[in-house]
Amino acid sequence: MKIFNSIKWRLQLWYGLILVVVLAGFGFTAYQLEYGRQMRRIDGELHLRFGMLANALHESMPRPPNRPRFGSPPDNQWPEDRPPRHNPPPQKFVLPDWAARFFDATNRYGYYYVISRDEHELDRSTNAPVEDHDRFARNPNYINAPPTLPRNEPPVEYNGEPVTDADLKNQRFAAGQPGSAWQRGDFREIVTDLPSGEWVVIGKNITPELMELHRIGLELTLIGGIILLLGLAGGGWLVSRAIKPINEISATAVKISAGDLSQRINVAEAESELGQLAAVLNSTFARLETAFAQQKQFASDAAHELRTPVTVMLTQTQTALNRERDAESYKQTVEACQRAAQRMRRLIESLLELARFDAGQEVLKRMHFDFSKTLSDSIEMVQALADERNVKIISEISPLEITGDAERLAQVVTNLLTNALQYNRPGGEVCVKLNVQNGLAVLEVADTGQGIAPENLARVFERFYRADSSRTGAGNAGLGLSICQAIIEAHGGSIAVTSQPGSGTTFTVRLPVA
Amino acid sequence: MRILIIEDEPDLLASLAQALREEGYAVDTADNGNDGLFNAEGTDYDAIVLDVMLPGLDGWEILKRLRKTKKSPVLMLTARDQTRDRVKGLDTGADDYVVKPFDLEEVFARLRAIIRRSANKTTNLIEIGDVKIDTAARNIFLKDKAVEITAREYALVEFLALHRGEVVTRTQLYEHLFDENESSLSNLLDVHVSNVRKKLGAEFIATRRGHGYCIE
Repeated sequence: MKIFNSIKWRLQLWYGLILVVVLAGFGFTAYQLEYGRQMRRIDGELHLRFGMLANALHESMPRPPNRPRFGSPPDNQWPEDRPPRHNPPPQKFVLPDWAARFFDATNRYGYYYVISRDEHELDRSTNAPVEDHDRFARNPNYINAPPTLPRNEPPVEYNGEPVTDADLKNQRFAAGQPGSAWQRGDFREIVTDLPSGEWVVIGKNITPELMELHRIGLELTLIGGIILLLGLAGGGWLVSRAIKPINEISATAVKISAGDLSQRINVAEAESELGQLAAVLNSTFARLETAFAQQKQFASDAAHELRTPVTVMLTQTQTALNRERDAESYKQTVEACQRAAQRMRRLIESLLELARFDAGQEVLKRMHFDFSKTLSDSIEMVQALADERNVKIISEISPLEITGDAERLAQVVTNLLTNALQYNRPGGEVCVKLNVQNGLAVLEVADTGQGIAPENLARVFERFYRADSSRTGAGNAGLGLSICQAIIEAHGGSIAVTSQPGSGTTFTVRLPVA
Repeated sequence: MRILIIEDEPDLLASLAQALREEGYAVDTADNGNDGLFNAEGTDYDAIVLDVMLPGLDGWEILKRLRKTKKSPVLMLTARDQTRDRVKGLDTGADDYVVKPFDLEEVFARLRAIIRRSANKTTNLIEIGDVKIDTAARNIFLKDKAVEITAREYALVEFLALHRGEVVTRTQLYEHLFDENESSLSNLLDVHVSNVRKKLGAEFIATRRGHGYCIE
């Protein structure tokens, strides 16, 4: 057996694959959620710093004379007065100390740039990465960087309220809205377009966070691997458990095929599918065993029935040959041998007849005939026996024609009548009835004999079964009723027996009329 | 030697009885279990030939009931040669069995064997002084010379020899040498005894007045 043809291994394989997919899905989702959480946290931090920086800038930025200080325009002319981008000269910011502390060299992770409208760098924290700020404009392929810096459109809504021109004029949004975040390499940055025209880039080196995420990824992979291994082991155990009854069934079947028909599968869980299968197999095995036992019993019985006449012939001839005899003794010996041989012949004929019925080789003649006449003929035939045994035959026969094998059915009738006479008491009666019930021809033969004990009633049609457990005469091998049953069933009919111990037995034959 | 045959097949019963009578046995017959048990319990048979399948009581049942009162050796005739049937027969108290179909010679030999065993003899040869009795060939030798002897006379000598040293009553002798159908004429036994004495010597069979006969 190739390993992948084994159900166990195929189940394991599929189970393992599904487990891998599920674990990978969970792991990926968990990683993504964690990643998003980290990034939101960083972005929140950046926004916070942006707020501080924006305030600091707002407070400390020197003001050009022709330009209102943003955040508090002196008059209503600000939007119209907005200077062109290239116009103002580069200016320097000076961060107050408290704000600068967040961005000095001791703080490795936060930095900022301030870029003027004409894309000159106005200021940068000491810890900002060395790359040139105008990489945004010049290198559109820069990882994760937008091709151009975002322009802040004037907000149309703030805190759920529409923004009016008056709001804009009041510079309610002087500090500007923080822009969106992006990531380049180990840095996460927020670029904000200030209403005053500058860009502020707040960034953070997120190497520790990325390392943390990396570690989480590794942990997830490791945990996933362990779960996979545990799952595979558990799955293997489960599959083995599930397969075990199959192995038991198979082992039992092997023993049975080796000839030990008494073996049965141990049905531990009768309710499970395999338990039901085992129960079905067990009942099949039981039927097989019964069939085999019956076959064996049949052969043994047949041999047994032949032994007695053979013994008679042997002892008769050996006795006769022991010494010289007169003609009369030889004649007696020959007669006894003939009786024994006749008995064997009848037995062999019966056996062959049954064998033909069993094999379905017995060809029935199908003809339309007068069954009531067959019945009266048979009664006439056994009348001599009835007189001899002092039994009265009473018949209630309705005229009836049926289709079937007249000779075979006559055999059945004669057999039933002979039995009814033989097992009757002297002075008893045999009652024969023939009529039609529900479209079936019904023949009843009832005697007034000893009857049959209920426990033996089911066995009367068994081959070689005799109700009185001994021979009642040569030639009665206990096959007569078996043959009757075979004939009736070959006609599509049925034969049944009822008995009252002590008062009599009734055989009922039902035959299709057509 | 008196034997009872219980067998329901009439032709078999008749030929077995005839053959055994011709062997010098006194033979009674029964063709059903009830009569068989009645006979077997009523008489001390030297051996019983018992069929297993019988109308009325079957062979095993007869054996079981008989063993409560009698020790007569029993040879079972069985048509079933399965081991369990043979074991059952032997365990129930049968001394031996023959499976049908059998040869008469085998039945004779087994009968001789169970009769011999029941008399505690191990061989077929009994020696009494100058007289030798071959129970297998049913011959008697006097000083190594075969003696002409009738079947009934042989049976008388054999029975007394098997009970050597015991006093055997006339009743016993009648019971074991004649079957139920023979008219037991009182002087028939005396005729046989006197003939045996003529052939084997007057002192071979001693008479115990008022008791019976004895071989010392």
